[in-house]
Amino acid sequence: MTTPEPVSINRLNPDQFKHWPCDQDHCLTCALCSSTCPVSGIDGFDPRKIIRMISLGLQTELVESRWPWICTMCGKCEHVCPMSIHIPDIMRGIRSLRDRNQVPGILHKGLEAALKSGNNLGLPQEDFVFILEEVAEEIAQEPGFEGFSVSVDKEGANILTTIHNKLVNTHTEDLKHWWKIFYAAGEDWTIPAENWEGTNWGMFTGDDAAMKVMAGRIAENMARLKAKNLLWPE
Amino acid sequence: MDKSRFSGVLATYHDPCNYGRKAERIFGHGYYDEPRWIMSQCIDNWVDTYPTRDSQYCCGGGGGTLTTGYNTERIFYGRKKMEQIQATGASMVVVPCHSCHGQLNAIKAEYGMENLVVKYLWELVADCLIMETV
Repeated sequence: MTTPEPVSINRLNPDQFKHWPCDQDHCLTCALCSSTCPVSGIDGFDPRKIIRMISLGLQTELVESRWPWICTMCGKCEHVCPMSIHIPDIMRGIRSLRDRNQVPGILHKGLEAALKSGNNLGLPQEDFVFILEEVAEEIAQEPGFEGFSVSVDKEGANILTTIHNKLVNTHTEDLKHWWKIFYAAGEDWTIPAENWEGTNWGMFTGDDAAMKVMAGRIAENMARLKAKNLLWPE
Repeated sequence: MDKSRFSGVLATYHDPCNYGRKAERIFGHGYYDEPRWIMSQCIDNWVDTYPTRDSQYCCGGGGGTLTTGYNTERIFYGRKKMEQIQATGASMVVVPCHSCHGQLNAIKAEYGMENLVVKYLWELVADCLIMETV
């Protein structure tokens, strides 16, 4: 165990996060969050410590740390917090302050591809529709599903469904489950040919503007195709 | 629904954070009962985890952590989830979330549970459909 380095008082800026509506200053330091968090202890991670650092305005230390990125924002901490401090929102807020080029892994790259092309993979519409039709043909060969077909860009359907990009990438078999249920239920459903991406990685990178664009496109699809209900399982 | 499809299989159910705690906070309703009702239409033999519902353990794959590259941390995060599933004795875990599904499949071998079947809730329903054949 090492003794932590003392923090110089000149580096503290308690006003730094005052505009955040997260009530961090109400923390009782009871550590229920720390006790319930599955990653407390990894790399010095501790939700209570992070809340205290927010109160003290230690922005640089927080933004440069890995902590908000190994947190899954699962919400067990806020669930047990006696002061109802929304700790996952704070984590996401810290993520939002990271330089976009320093966002770890493929999160920001995927989001950029989605903003540009309509999906995280940058998959062209023609390829997307081809994959859907291939999978539909496979279903039609199964007993009981003869005559099955996939409905793309149909107007006035009861259900419009989004697609998780992995289902048209490495996990095409998993497209079949919902489709079989629709078929068995005699459901009137459709998939939009463009902007079908159901994941919204702005949620993970703390990028509200991008998140709004992605969600807005789904709303546009609903209006364009006059669909009655939205199935957005992602 | 064909309940005999998984007879002899003990299953359990995992509440994703977003359909449970998060939905409860943001939309005022946590989806705990609905998936359990669906489970019961498909299988007779399933048990809950402990803890469960709003106190459920996260799988460790949420919040984008499957894509950040911090894989050692993510696998370690999942240890409590895997212990919890193991304690139920179930050989199949049903989840209604793409991230949970990916994470549980990705880490099960790390915890000696290679044979654990990870199934989407909608996959369970599709598997149990009784179709008229020509």
